[in-house]
Amino acid sequence: MDGIKSNKVIWKDGTAKNITFIVTKDCQLACKYCYLVGKNEKERMSWQVAKSAIDYILDHKSDFNEESVIWDFIGGEPFLEIDLIDQICDYIKKELYIRGHHWFNSYRFNFSTNGINYDSEKVQQFIAKNREHLSIGITIDGTRRKHDLNRIWKGDGPEKGSYDDVVRNIPLWLKQFPHGGTKVTISSADIPYIKESVLHLYSLGIHEVNINAVFEDVWKEGDDDLFEQQLTELADAIIDGGWYEDYACSFYSENIGKPLDPVYDNTNWCGAGRMLAVDAAGNFYPCTRFAAYSLRSKKPLIIGNVHDGIDRDKLRPFLTLDRTTQSPQNCIDCEVASGCAWCQGENYDAAESPTIYQRATAICKMHKARVRANNYYWNKLFRKLELEGRREEYEANRKTSNPILPC
Amino acid sequence: MLKYLIVMLDRASVPFCHHEPAEKNEGLISAADLKNAIRFGMKENLVIQFVYPDRAIPAELENIIETIDHVKIKPYPSGKDDVLVADIGAIPQKAENETLVIRASIQELAEKVSEVENAIYRFKRVNIILKEPDSISEEDAGAYKLFLDRLTYYIAGQTASGKELPQFNLLTDRILLDKMNNCGAGDESITIAPDGKMYVCPAFYYDGDAPVEWDKEEGLQLPNAQLYRLDHAPICRACDAFQCHRCVWLNRRRTLEVNTPGHTQCILSHHERNASRNLLGRLREAGIAATLKDIPELDYLDPFEIVK
Repeated sequence: MDGIKSNKVIWKDGTAKNITFIVTKDCQLACKYCYLVGKNEKERMSWQVAKSAIDYILDHKSDFNEESVIWDFIGGEPFLEIDLIDQICDYIKKELYIRGHHWFNSYRFNFSTNGINYDSEKVQQFIAKNREHLSIGITIDGTRRKHDLNRIWKGDGPEKGSYDDVVRNIPLWLKQFPHGGTKVTISSADIPYIKESVLHLYSLGIHEVNINAVFEDVWKEGDDDLFEQQLTELADAIIDGGWYEDYACSFYSENIGKPLDPVYDNTNWCGAGRMLAVDAAGNFYPCTRFAAYSLRSKKPLIIGNVHDGIDRDKLRPFLTLDRTTQSPQNCIDCEVASGCAWCQGENYDAAESPTIYQRATAICKMHKARVRANNYYWNKLFRKLELEGRREEYEANRKTSNPILPC
Repeated sequence: MLKYLIVMLDRASVPFCHHEPAEKNEGLISAADLKNAIRFGMKENLVIQFVYPDRAIPAELENIIETIDHVKIKPYPSGKDDVLVADIGAIPQKAENETLVIRASIQELAEKVSEVENAIYRFKRVNIILKEPDSISEEDAGAYKLFLDRLTYYIAGQTASGKELPQFNLLTDRILLDKMNNCGAGDESITIAPDGKMYVCPAFYYDGDAPVEWDKEEGLQLPNAQLYRLDHAPICRACDAFQCHRCVWLNRRRTLEVNTPGHTQCILSHHERNASRNLLGRLREAGIAATLKDIPELDYLDPFEIVK
């Protein structure tokens, strides 16, 4: 059935190894909700560190036996280091070929960019060169007022929003990546603009809007009510306007808001530890969120480096972590537990002791508000399909599960 | 639930477990702190174990200690009491009714296996504690297996010839256990250090951890206290190496989490477990231990393989 666009399909069903290069800790912007508390202009990855990381990874084939790989580039703003990235990607391609590696032709280069440099000559040359193996997401938060509320240029002087500098590149990006999705982040101040922002992004031609409420403890009294109201109004607009036919918003999913079995639904949500991140110093992390520049109150959690390799003992807690062991009893007993996400890095950062085994629950009331609005969305949509005689067709073609979207 | 209270009488109290001895930076517990520790142990119904340094302590402290039932843990040769702690190079030749803790590296065990054999039948109980466990390699684990295999033959032979089955932590504990019996620091036991404050165990004190508070209503104020319990240890709760120390201090050193053991720790414990299984088999061949529970055969040495 073409009638309802579903959420993003993840390349290789999410089974690919995710390897992240933190190429720089610098960014042109100083977004107010950014979890990167230690951004700076000094920590830029050198070619030598990048090459050592690639050599280590490719030399240890048996430790990286996933069928496919996503090479992720993150910052700060990764495209500030386009020369280095180009060199890294060329080297990876060459080495995969020379070594007859099983990742040859089963790899992606992935970028999350603020979009400001997107149309630069160097970035465009890079895109042209790697087009078949490339995923790029540009972050635009919605309407000008919503975007400029948080996504401002860094520097002294009056606040300057970045909306105009990003939106001008959206047509070029969508021309090159027609299925490109954007990632929207919601914190307390953004809530009143959710509905208008999602509809604005649809009107720009972005068919896939992935939204996350931040995991940090930023929520104020009444935020959940306002959030629920915005999502309910957005549900009305999407369904009444017929947007659901061709556009998707990750807020709404049939599979959220159900109880979870403590035995059969006990997997960890987050992929930290199954991924690998490397920074400018050549240190390895279970995910970028465990690097020093991401942490407010804890020491970085380093699991090795490009010279000594990965200390596999330090990965064991990540690889044996399950939902119930890290959750408080009220989460285990929660009637609407499914779809309630967590970030292992934020759990670690917010924990009372240095552990990844204490689930942060700041997002609880926001999840419950989302579930109520989500129930409203599906009840309304199903009734509409029923009245249009399309419900049976939908049921026959429905997917059994929605993919878990990466953070 | 807390059951045991360990009281370190001195900063240089004898190391009876994996941690290394303190430098000779002596610092006795004060009489007031010792009295408070004892009073706490009495009110919470805890078994109190006093850990002595390698020197005499003032009579005032000894008198306070004798006001309560207790266990003394002392270094050999200065002590002669409930629990003696000795380096493998200085195992006491004469013994009465004591428990002996032998601290040794794997290399030392391999070199002095006959001295361990002799000690096993001289003492009421022998516990072997590995020194510097953080630096044990997988190659060392192979040598450890050979050491255990030799002792298995020895104990089986002695028992078959009529001697009573000894109490030896590495090989006989697993035979007699039907559930986990681990160190329990932070869960079943807590330590009061010479500064009068409470710590998870002596090793946490030496590592410079912040002391743990006690609330008479709420109990131990240990952040994420649940992680010290077996039910919050994903690898250990799936494991049947019941004799394993499950040392939370060593876990933290290796994996950064108190509830997760490192690979080598699991390998060593499974060599002990499997050697215990072999010993049980030999005892049964000799017509002994028929009523004891089976120890099943496993196809792994690290339960991480079945949990990940």
